[in-house]
Amino acid sequence: MTDLVTPSAATDTTASAPAPPAKAGWPWLKWFARRIGLAALTLWLCSVLVFFATAALGDPVRAILGKDYGSSPERAAALAAELHLDRPVIARYFEWLGGLLTGDLGNSVANGLPVGELVGDRIVNSAVLVIVAAIVMIPVAFGIAMVSANNRGKRADGVIQIVMITLAGLPEFVVGILLVALFSTTVLHVLPAVTIAGGGAPPWFVPASMVLPVLTLVIAVAPYVARIVRSSLLEVLDSDYVELARLKGVPERIVMRKHALLNAIVPGIQVIALQLAWLAGGIVIVEYLFSYPGIGASLVDSVRNSDFPMVQVLAMVIAAVYVGVNLLADVLSILFTPRARTAISS
Amino acid sequence: MRQPPHSRRDVLKYGLLTGAALAGLSGCSAVPRRPDPGTPPVRGGVYSHGATGGGLKDTLEPYFPVTNPDISRVMQLYEPLLRWDATYEIEPSVAESVTPNTDNTQWTVRIREGVEFHHGKTVTAEDIMFSLATVTDPNNTGSGGTELATVLELNNSKIVDPRTIVLQLNSPYAVLDQLLAEYTVGIIPTDFDISHPVGTGPFAYRHFVPGQLSQFVRHENYWDGPAWVDELFIYDFADDAAKVNALLAGQVQSIDNLPNYLAGTIEQQGASPLVSETGAWVPFTMRVDVAPFSDVRVRQALRLIVDRQQMIDQALNGFGVLGNDLYAPFDPAYASDLPQRMQDIDQARSLLRQAGQENLDVELVTSSAVGAGAVESANLFVEQARKAGVTVRLNKADANVFYGDRYLSWNFAQDFWNTRNYIPQVATSSVKGATYNETHFEDPTFTALIDQAKREPDPARRNQLLHDAQVIEYETGGFIIWGFKRQLDAYSNLVQGLEPHRYLPCSNFRFSRASFVRQP
Repeated sequence: MTDLVTPSAATDTTASAPAPPAKAGWPWLKWFARRIGLAALTLWLCSVLVFFATAALGDPVRAILGKDYGSSPERAAALAAELHLDRPVIARYFEWLGGLLTGDLGNSVANGLPVGELVGDRIVNSAVLVIVAAIVMIPVAFGIAMVSANNRGKRADGVIQIVMITLAGLPEFVVGILLVALFSTTVLHVLPAVTIAGGGAPPWFVPASMVLPVLTLVIAVAPYVARIVRSSLLEVLDSDYVELARLKGVPERIVMRKHALLNAIVPGIQVIALQLAWLAGGIVIVEYLFSYPGIGASLVDSVRNSDFPMVQVLAMVIAAVYVGVNLLADVLSILFTPRARTAISS
Repeated sequence: MRQPPHSRRDVLKYGLLTGAALAGLSGCSAVPRRPDPGTPPVRGGVYSHGATGGGLKDTLEPYFPVTNPDISRVMQLYEPLLRWDATYEIEPSVAESVTPNTDNTQWTVRIREGVEFHHGKTVTAEDIMFSLATVTDPNNTGSGGTELATVLELNNSKIVDPRTIVLQLNSPYAVLDQLLAEYTVGIIPTDFDISHPVGTGPFAYRHFVPGQLSQFVRHENYWDGPAWVDELFIYDFADDAAKVNALLAGQVQSIDNLPNYLAGTIEQQGASPLVSETGAWVPFTMRVDVAPFSDVRVRQALRLIVDRQQMIDQALNGFGVLGNDLYAPFDPAYASDLPQRMQDIDQARSLLRQAGQENLDVELVTSSAVGAGAVESANLFVEQARKAGVTVRLNKADANVFYGDRYLSWNFAQDFWNTRNYIPQVATSSVKGATYNETHFEDPTFTALIDQAKREPDPARRNQLLHDAQVIEYETGGFIIWGFKRQLDAYSNLVQGLEPHRYLPCSNFRFSRASFVRQP
């Protein structure tokens, strides 16, 4: 089923599209440029929000020093200078934005190390977790949707629906704790309970330690995707042209694969994008529960330490993932929707 | 059946290989029992400890451990001249003796023979002088030796021979040995470099990632007997559930700061709680210089309102010892003969009436930032005060507010303190000019007694002076000290050698004494 989203499938549909590809180039580029421009604008607005929201939180020096603020004025002064707090807020914003664009992310207040160095590995770790979860989740969700749609109204469908709704209603930490109790601590002792096993190596060096975090994320998002895809499948299966195909003697299996599934992909992409974007910001709990060395834990840690440079960069990373995933989803949706492609081209 | 897990990988492998065999069986059958204390220790293995908290602020710096995992790391790498034993008594460490002259103005340090740093160099008097100079350096903003810096005169101190130093003080200080036994005064070599930290501790530095983990290897030439295990990992845990899960899954062999409510459950899952007495307290702090607390009768009334046992039972889940508005319970001078103050609502009402405060209405400032037991005990106090007709309005402040501008000037608030002996505690909290004098306590007789005690070389006479000082605090002080916390940690039944310790959590973090046990 994974081949549905691979380039070969995409080119297949493009080839069968009514508009000749040669003519389509120019309007496509314009459409694409506009979407990129909009994405950039969104990110810029995010940067304004992130920066001024953190600036409005009050005196960061006081927040950082806590109990020591009163007793060591020289540290307070040094910290204020380090954070350029003596300069007007607008000037600080542009300085920060310039740094962000040129890759100079500043230094962490908590330990003075460059932010880039501190978050680099963690961003990769989180990205791997989300991507692995997506790779597992997408076929699983589509598979469940197909089984469910095939058995519409029967017992199997009913059971699947109840399980999906129940899982969708469970918070991730409950799912995570149950999985740990089941596989690591209480019932069975077959999987690591936390991702510390590598002794400092990235968690995926010990694949077993990735199983439970990935499973938790899959259980958290798959029900939504499966339910949307199922209803799109049913919609297509009820349509006139599928009825016609059936009447022409096309076997049900082919109907499902060639017609229904292809048409259910677009709503699927949209809901997957939403869920993945949510994962980017929402893995905090999962990372906490499994002691996973990702951005979620460091975001919480940075907020607690009032480490503003870290908070700002991590917030921007999460915003960028949101914007990026949505952009990708839009492009894919257009590619998979002949009518939309035609609209752009003409 | 179950082999000792010699490394984390072995644990994993074991888990995976036998996973199929275990499937279907209840996990209980695989749960190891607590080992017989007489089981001989096994050499080897990789020991992992789960430490609570930590984050990007983590450091290996010897003189400024910030977080709880920092303290656990400092305890592996560095050692002070003296150290606290399990009963909170001083014992020799890098020094074989530290002795005062007759008026407590000069202290002679005799270094133990053949103590080696991790890089092979033997500890000499130069290293001691260098360490003391570093820890008392006023430019070292994170100095763990602030108190030491106020009494030590290093310029007038002398190296007598490679193993002997005479430390000169600027004023008599009878308990200098107590300052030298703190974990923040570890000995480092003159060629110390923080990128490759070297000390004399039982484990040598290997690898460190702030907020995640640190790796150590056994110091083979450790003077106090090399560690049983080959390697030590200390992992940071931000989340209690993850920490406990890691212990129960066998990924770590011990954890510090087990949540109180889990003490019972982990016992059914192959781990044991480790409970230690401590001198840690979470007092209510009343400012003795502002109304209504400037009236000693009001302070006494509020002290009589507290149901101390209820606070221990509910705010500390029973893991506490009764307090008597005095601190430093392990100090030989602790005034344990003073009558235990109990709840006495009638007496409290009567005192308030005498003070003209029948309808007392006060604000109590608390914050979750104060630590475990704080907000809970504040809530209980509101209830208990109501019985005596006192209205307590609770102000639950954010950490930034609580420790903000008004910290140390709240009229009625809380704070937290760890185990300390009497004189060092007084110096930080209870005399004029002390950095953290939350109660603004300032009694000339009290200060004179403390000053006299610092000079007094005779322990018995010194203890009497300190006892008299405690009577003053007992009668007129601004603290309500309702109890001392018990420290609760946990360890896997596959290891042994951890024992209750009054100083730091998890057997004083002495993992060099821990070893794996072979299950029958």
